[in-house]
Amino acid sequence: MPEPIEIQLKKGALELCVLALLSKHDGYAYEIASRLADAIGMGEGTIYPLMRRLQIDGLVETYLEESPTGPPRKYYRLSEPGKKSFQAQKDAWASFSGAVDQIVFGGAK
Amino acid sequence: MTRQAFMARLREGLRGLPPQTIAEIVTDYETHFTDGLAAGRSEEEVAGALGNPDRLAREIRAESTLNRWHAERSPGSAAAAVFAVLGLGAIDIIFLLPILMGVAGALFGLILAAVGCFFAGAMVFAAGPFLDPPGGPLTAIFGGLGLMAGSASIGALLAIISIGLMNALVWYGRLHYRLLKPALES
Repeated sequence: MPEPIEIQLKKGALELCVLALLSKHDGYAYEIASRLADAIGMGEGTIYPLMRRLQIDGLVETYLEESPTGPPRKYYRLSEPGKKSFQAQKDAWASFSGAVDQIVFGGAK
Repeated sequence: MTRQAFMARLREGLRGLPPQTIAEIVTDYETHFTDGLAAGRSEEEVAGALGNPDRLAREIRAESTLNRWHAERSPGSAAAAVFAVLGLGAIDIIFLLPILMGVAGALFGLILAAVGCFFAGAMVFAAGPFLDPPGGPLTAIFGGLGLMAGSASIGALLAIISIGLMNALVWYGRLHYRLLKPALES
């Protein structure tokens, strides 16, 4: 089990990561979940409640697309507010992580 | 755990939510199994990565109840939210319970007192002038009005405090999700 601080960090970064993935291209839940599970060790089941919340908050929209195998697949894309929110969160993250890096790795002055 | 067992326990745990919500959630997780199997994983692996379905269902239900509190601030939704947070079964919340009940009891008592004062004020306002009070009928009318206004504002203040406390509890409860938000062990 990871240290609590790691959990807190991941919790906070999760939404940003999902928005970032969707800003590159539309995606479906399994794809996003496995990407994030590999990259930051997120529990896979976590993605669905998060996507529902993003959808309720109006940051993402869903549409169905025919899939070559099986039933139509539910895709997620960023809405306009979602794009704005992503930009804002990205800026906040950049300045925050930059400041932390500066302190943690910055060395003696 | 097999796919069937996982889905059965999830469905069981979600009972009580709106049917459409359940259908959406169930479809999401069914699709997850299908995709996982297509990617060459076993049902056990996928189920293991998703976590305990009972816990998952409990947290999804808690979240939906807490959202109801945000949408509609009523005593009913507040009570439901309290039970949802307790249902998360975190040790520290259980320890918090006696304090919580004390605070809730005190608030409830104060609100009752404010309601009582309001009606007492109404009585003085309506009946006072006919009872030949000291200082004349006008004193009774204004005194009654003052009592009503005072207890109404105290009641409003108490309501604001109660809502603030509930919001704090909901915030605190959400910190205890293990599967829903956090990125715990995969």
